[in-house]
Parts: sequence; structure tokens; C-alpha cells
Amino acid sequence: MGPLETFVVESTIPEEADQYKQIVSDAITDLVLAKAIEKIKVVVTPEETLFQMVVVLRSGMPPVKVSDFAQVGEGTFGESEVVIDIDNEAYLPQLLENLWEMCGRINVHQPERKTISVTCDNPLEHISEIEEMIIEDPQRTLQSKLVDMAIRATPEGFRVRYHSLNGNHFIFVATEDIMKKEWIEEAHKMLDELTGGEPSGSSS
Amino acid sequence: MAAVLEPYIYEGGIHKHGLILELLEDLGGFLVQKIPAATEVTLIMLIPDKDIHLMEELAIKLLGKITKLPLTGTEIAVVSPTLAYHHLPHSACDIAEFLRRGGANTNMIGLARGMGRRVALSGDYERKLINEHDIALFSFGTFSDCIINKKPKLFEGIDIPIVVTGAPDIKTEDIPNADMYIGGIGRVSHRLRKEPELEGLDKMNEMVSEMVGRVRKEIAKDPLAVLPARVMKEIKDQIPEIEHVLTPAPITIQLDGLRVKLPYDEFHKRVENIEFDEGPLLSEVAKVMPSKMKNYILIKIQRKSEVGFVI
Repeated sequence: MGPLETFVVESTIPEEADQYKQIVSDAITDLVLAKAIEKIKVVVTPEETLFQMVVVLRSGMPPVKVSDFAQVGEGTFGESEVVIDIDNEAYLPQLLENLWEMCGRINVHQPERKTISVTCDNPLEHISEIEEMIIEDPQRTLQSKLVDMAIRATPEGFRVRYHSLNGNHFIFVATEDIMKKEWIEEAHKMLDELTGGEPSGSSS
Repeated sequence: MAAVLEPYIYEGGIHKHGLILELLEDLGGFLVQKIPAATEVTLIMLIPDKDIHLMEELAIKLLGKITKLPLTGTEIAVVSPTLAYHHLPHSACDIAEFLRRGGANTNMIGLARGMGRRVALSGDYERKLINEHDIALFSFGTFSDCIINKKPKLFEGIDIPIVVTGAPDIKTEDIPNADMYIGGIGRVSHRLRKEPELEGLDKMNEMVSEMVGRVRKEIAKDPLAVLPARVMKEIKDQIPEIEHVLTPAPITIQLDGLRVKLPYDEFHKRVENIEFDEGPLLSEVAKVMPSKMKNYILIKIQRKSEVGFVI
């Protein structure tokens, strides 16, 4: 299943919709969201000053734990320390930050590029705790990116906004006039059409 | 009768480029801008049309290149609805950059409240600032309904020619109060570098040049009392402080005037009292006023019919 299974942009005049698709696509590319989005549909109705967007996100992006990218073990015999060997440096800054908070900055050392040692009293007790530590929650960053993408893709003057994120389903309606209930209902219907009536997924 | 001056750009090595400047002076042309960059130099100049071959010969000798630059001597306002990332840096900056390649001096103006359909409006100060330019280019977006029905209210109070760019293919006549519409350049959020986009920008330069030509023709019917380039030369000769101004174009030539980037309060008396060899002072042939841009000086040259003579 490739990225962006469905990508539809509709408008009153089809050529203008094609032009607008480029703008939405640029916004998605800029925020590196292509992999996270499964389906997206945008309807722009300039005559009514209305922008509607529904997005179905890919589910199954679990939070990243330390055990996912590192081996946590006991240090040399006699030393009371935990040694963490990491495979993926991308998570290193956040990991260090979390360890500093947990054990104090003075107890965290980095003797080598990919090795971190943490001095503590009972190393064996801490190993499982460190292994389970959540370093990044893609779902959370995704949400803020998604909102950013929606605002970038909207025509600028449309400052009256409605948005809803329910599980993997994101609805965004923007206008510059008073928001009408029908528009929001319409967007919900669009979402139903896009998903074919399947429920909204697990995580929320 | 003064010679007809044609705008040209010289691009070549800095070595011996003084010869070009000497020849230009001998021919009675004017240097508009000199941009040195390491060992290269770019000279933008106005050359009398009958003597262009002399300049071409010298340029070939110096292994430089001389090309015509139709937009030289114009100051164009590139107006975008706001300065938010919906409009900048692409496409408004790309538009301005292309106009500069054509020789124009451009100023980017982002309106405070130009976005949207119903809520779009422009302020009095913004309108006055735009009116100081030769041409206003409004860069609009994707939807023809917005461009035709809603955005033209931003043109209210603009007295200079209005050029509009946008994505859809619509006729100029359909847009109220616009003097020219250029399609194919709408709202984009990537740099304009694909072939159709560059073609659109080339076409834009061509059409803006055509608009400049129209304005020039209009001015020729009742000519200016003195050429802006001549005023520029006199300012450079008589107010040496202009050499210490660090902006890229300390004196910006417009089709019917100049913008002098010196503080108005301190210098306007001296600018007004600039003397021409023929006798008159600048204040007798032009209006010297404070510009809406910073505290610069704006000079608008009067026509022959107002003054009664041409220098």
C-alpha cells in the first residue's frame, strides 16, 4: 500500500482544483506527512467562501520506546551503572533529555558516540524502567503537523475554523463568514464516503 | 530635441570597465546602476539609440555582453495580499525577482488586511505608497471567482496602471479596473522552476514591458520637462552625500520621477535647489515631496505643458 491512496481536490472549476491540488500537495511534502496520510479529500467552494478537508490517517504508529532502538544492560562488574547501546542516533537528544530528568545530569555519561552509561544505585532495577521509557510519540507530533498542514492549505483569509480529530479521522472546515452547520455535516458525510463507513480506528 | 535613450545592461569583467563609463559619458548617456561583484561588474545604463553600435563594439572588445533591458528606469510595486507564507516567498518573490532581471526596481508591498474575500481591504497609507510607483502588480491566487468578483476592491484608489497575476486563464476585461491580466502565475508554495512556470514568468516580463511601453508613449505625448536620468546625474554631482547611502539603488529612477534615498528633512532644500546648466532649479521643473517609504524624498517631474519648456 503506497502513500496517499486517495488524493482528491474538488472545486467549482476543475482546472482550478488541479492548481489547488499542487498547493495541498506542497503543504503535505513540506511537513513530511505523505507517509502518515492514507486518504485525503479537499473541496474548495470559492463562491461560498468555503474550504473543507477530510483526512484519513494511517493507523498503527506506536510510540517509540528505548528498547526499540537500543540495548539496555548492566555495566561492568562492580560498577553500579546501566549501559545503553543505541542503534539509531535520531532519538539520542530526546533520550538524553529524558535520562537527565530521571537520574540527574551528573549521573549520565556518554563515553562513546553510541553508548550512554547511567550511574545509579540499583542498576538491575532501572534496566526495565529505561527500556520502557517512551522517547517519541508519533501520534502526538502528527497531530500538530496535521493542524499546521490544514492551516497552510487553507486560503489565508478563512479564519473561522472547525476541526475535529477522532482517532484516525481528521475533519477541517474553514470559512471567513459565520460557520454553517450544514458545512460541517457535509464534511462528515465526505469522510463517510472516503472511509466507506468503517469506524474511526483505535487510538485517539 | 533630446536623443532617445534606450536601456541596456553590460555584463563583463571589472577590468577596464571604466572605458565603458567614459564612452557613455561622451555619448551623453546615463549610468543608472553599477553593481560590482568580485571580478565582475554589471552596469545598467541608458544609451542614446543612435550610438548603440559604438557601445556594442567596445563591449565585444572588452569581452563583455550588452543586452537590452526593457524594464530599466521603472519602479514596480509587487503587491501581495499579506506577507504570510500563503503568498511569500513564492510566488510573489519569484515575480519580483523576474521583474528585476528585466531591469526594473521592485518593492514588495504586503498589505495588512488584503487576504480573504469579504474582508479584504487596503489602507490609505498603503494606497498612497503604491501610488508612488510606476506600475502596481498585484499577485493573486487560484480562483477566478475571487480575482473577478472580490479582489478588485483592492484596486480602489490606485491611480497608476494595475497589472494582475493569477493562475486561471481569464480576460483583462473581466476584471474591473485592472489594466492587464497575466495568467499562469497563481499561488504556489514551491519555487517556480518548472518549465511552464518559467514560461509564465517570461510572458509576464514581456507583458509588463508592453505596459511600460504604453506608459512611455503616454508620457511622450506631453514630455517631461527634464529626463529623470538627467536629474539623477545632477544629484550625484551636486549632493555628494548620496555616495554614502548604502541601499542598492540610492537613487531609483521612475518613468516620471525619482526616489532619492536621503532623509527628507535634512536634504529636501538642497534637492530643490539643484541647478541645471540651462538655468532653472529642480524645484521649477519638478515637485519634491516626502515619500511614504521611510523618510525618503520623492521627486515627480512636471510635464512640458505645465512648465512651458523642456531642458
